[in-house]
Amino acid sequence: MMRELNDIYDVVVVGAGPGGCMASYASAKNGAKTLLIEKSQEIGEPVRCAEAIPSIEEFGIEPKPEFVRNIIKGGILFSPSGKKVIVTQDKAQGYVVERKIFDKYLAIRAAKAGSKVVVKTTAIGLEKDGDYWNVIVEFLGEEYCIKTKIVIAADGVESNIAEYAGLKAKKKPLEVCSCAEYEMANVRLLDKNMMEFYFGNEISPGGYVWIFPKGDTANVGLGVRDRKKKAIDYLEDFIENGMAKDRLKEATPIEFKVGGAPVSGPIEKTYTDGVLVVGDAAGQISPLTGGGIYLAMDCGLIAGEVASKAIKMNDWSEKILKEYEDRWKEKHYEYLMNHLKYRKILEKMSDDELDALAEALGESLDGVDLKKFVKRIITKKPSLLKYFKDLL
Amino acid sequence: MVKINYKKCGYCGACVGVCEQLAINLIEHIIEIDTEKCNNCNMCVIVCPLNALEGE
Repeated sequence: MMRELNDIYDVVVVGAGPGGCMASYASAKNGAKTLLIEKSQEIGEPVRCAEAIPSIEEFGIEPKPEFVRNIIKGGILFSPSGKKVIVTQDKAQGYVVERKIFDKYLAIRAAKAGSKVVVKTTAIGLEKDGDYWNVIVEFLGEEYCIKTKIVIAADGVESNIAEYAGLKAKKKPLEVCSCAEYEMANVRLLDKNMMEFYFGNEISPGGYVWIFPKGDTANVGLGVRDRKKKAIDYLEDFIENGMAKDRLKEATPIEFKVGGAPVSGPIEKTYTDGVLVVGDAAGQISPLTGGGIYLAMDCGLIAGEVASKAIKMNDWSEKILKEYEDRWKEKHYEYLMNHLKYRKILEKMSDDELDALAEALGESLDGVDLKKFVKRIITKKPSLLKYFKDLL
Repeated sequence: MVKINYKKCGYCGACVGVCEQLAINLIEHIIEIDTEKCNNCNMCVIVCPLNALEGE
């Protein structure tokens, strides 16, 4: 057995995605005895993601060529009839990374800060044991019981750990965006540094289609929330018949990825006695774009800091751990709830209305804040005002 | 009882995320459904991106 499984910890982090790795890093760096558990035999695999991230420099992480595949300057949004709107500001800029390498890099970074890591180890249960938690795990068919003061649940969309601890983390099926994606070679891009987004109720109801340039390849995928047809069928249809079909004619897949993005906004409560919930498991993912790497990393960092502080104070009750939720909400709650609001507006609009919206917005969204956004709609497409009037 | 088509499964875990009965586990690349806990709500069938799950 891995000797790491035969020990007692201050903090056990379940899930070695970006959120879990950052939580382990912060926890270990601040002196807590930390274990990071990953169920796959390889950290970073399987990839379930379009791999675009905004700036990571603020975490003190250098965008290294080993995992950065491309620099992104912005996005081109396409309305159902093909009207283009360009965005190049703020969060539209960033990188497309190789998640398999990036996640591994973050896990190594956590290990270098002092965290232990185990792989091919699945957490299958959680039991309260006095002031401690017993994390029941399975490794190569054997069960082990790991005693810890604090558990950080960073187990992604599956979010079983939070539920084991009595928190509500499960989602409704139409609040999870079902995604399918081919990473493809030979995609003819419009601009190798611009992401492409395609909207429409016919091509991807409840989500959108993306083409994210990734250096030698591009991630071509989509997310849908739909009862009738599956994500994979929408994707095959877009590649064959969609607006970019001429530029995808020579394209051929080199990887297939699927995933579920929980786009219902944050869960009700992200902490309890000795437990913190981070990343997709906590719903810390934009309900509008499905982007969650940055949020998971930042909230993971906060969780690791709060957990290690609680260990130092020798009190990991929910009264102390509440600081985690206070801090992440202070930074990100408004953003998440705004994106949820915008998503709910967009999904009410017909394809004709989406076209009208694109026309009203004009060619570029740069420098357009919410007030200017609504003003453009009032002057150019007053019929759409009913959707946006509540935003003012 | 929901049937799993392992040949179609992409092991993304979306079905696990909507299972309020905690009946589904994704152990590495293999979905397991606990027949005792599954109440045939078919939520997992709706969310699957690949049609790998079939309801009753």
